[in-house]
Order: sequence, then C-alpha cells, then structure tokens
Amino acid sequence: MRLLMTASQIRGLPVVTVQGGEDVAEVRDVIYNPEAGRLVGVTLNKRGFLAGRSRDVLAAEAIHAIGQDAVMVLNESSLVAPDDAPDDVGHPATERNVLGDDILTEGGASLGKVVDLVLLVGSSGEVVGYQIDKAGGGQGYIPLPAQLSVSGVALVVPNITEEFIQDDLVGLGAAVDEFRARLGLT
Amino acid sequence: MGTIGWLILVVIVIMVAVVAFVVIRRRRRSGGVIATKDKR
Repeated sequence: MRLLMTASQIRGLPVVTVQGGEDVAEVRDVIYNPEAGRLVGVTLNKRGFLAGRSRDVLAAEAIHAIGQDAVMVLNESSLVAPDDAPDDVGHPATERNVLGDDILTEGGASLGKVVDLVLLVGSSGEVVGYQIDKAGGGQGYIPLPAQLSVSGVALVVPNITEEFIQDDLVGLGAAVDEFRARLGLT
Repeated sequence: MGTIGWLILVVIVIMVAVVAFVVIRRRRRSGGVIATKDKR
C-alpha cells in the first residue's frame, strides 16, 4: 500500500501492540536519516492527557506498520530504553529539528521553509518530500531524491526541484517517481 | 478584603496555576522532526 503521511500526522499517534491491542505510548518526535532518506525511529510520550515524556524509544526496525490511526508494534518489548536502541534514536540530536529551516536549490534559489516532512509509510518509512511554506507565499510540497549529499546550514535540494513543487500530497505522490527518474537522467 | 474576597483570590490563583500547568505540559509533549547527522 502506498500511503503518504506527514510527520505531523504521525506525531501524536498511539503506539498499539499487534499482540494484545494494548495502547502503550504515543509518538513524540519523528527521527529520520536524510542521507539514507528514511525514517530511523520515533521518541515517545506516555499515554494520557497530562502524561509526560517516555524514556523508551521505538526504532524503525521494531515498527510493524504505520497507519493513519496508529503505529503498530508486535508487543511492548518493541519499545526499548535509549541505551538499547540505535544511537540516532536513543539519543536524538534535538537541535537538528528541521522544521522552519530554509530550503535552497543548488543554484542558490530559496524555495521557502520546511513546514513538515512527508513519508511513504507501509514500507520502510521512506522520506519522499517536504511540505514547505513557499518563498512566494502559500504552501506546497517538494519531492526529495532518494539520497542527497551533505549540506550545511540550509537544506540544499537539486535545481530541478523547483519544477516539481506540488500543491497537495496526491500531486507529490505522482511527482516523486518522475522527479527521481529525471535526476537519474541528469 | 473579607473572607469571601480571599477565597475568590485563592480560587483564581489555583485556576491560573492549573491552566499554566496544562499548557506547559501539552507544549512539552509536542515533538518535532529530527534529522540525524547533517540536515537536508
């Protein structure tokens, strides 16, 4: 199933066990690896209106499925202590929150600011694009290549990204493959 | 200020404290989108 979801749709989702249907936590931060272009895990809140942050984290490998209404895990042992999780998930670099960051093309044109991250769920949690506040006003979506080289302070995307700015998630879904095919040809 | 006045003041202070607690707690619960290594 090809389902595109934004990180803000995933944040706040309940984490539910497949074995038992228990509601064990709630997604707090979405952590992704920009070089690999995929989700690496999530940090968690405890369940309940006023419950605080959970010490446990959930690595992407332990996620059974991400759906529109819940993140499914096999059982409660999928939630692990930070020291038992991959370092990127167990000790996330909170100063690397990309929301609000500028997006520049390799040619130096500003496309806008990052509002959200778009993920292809139901597979490996592939990162396919960003939702942006466009430099010219309004919101849009840009596709991302499967991998990008290391950037500096701003998020740097290929020049042709500008041609693929979409108005909605449906358009982005269709644009990603064409965008990546174009990148493969150029 | 009479007894009633003090009671009203205490109730208002407690209400403000509760609202502040809830707001701060909810804000601390909202997460972000974190990139590993270099940002993209």
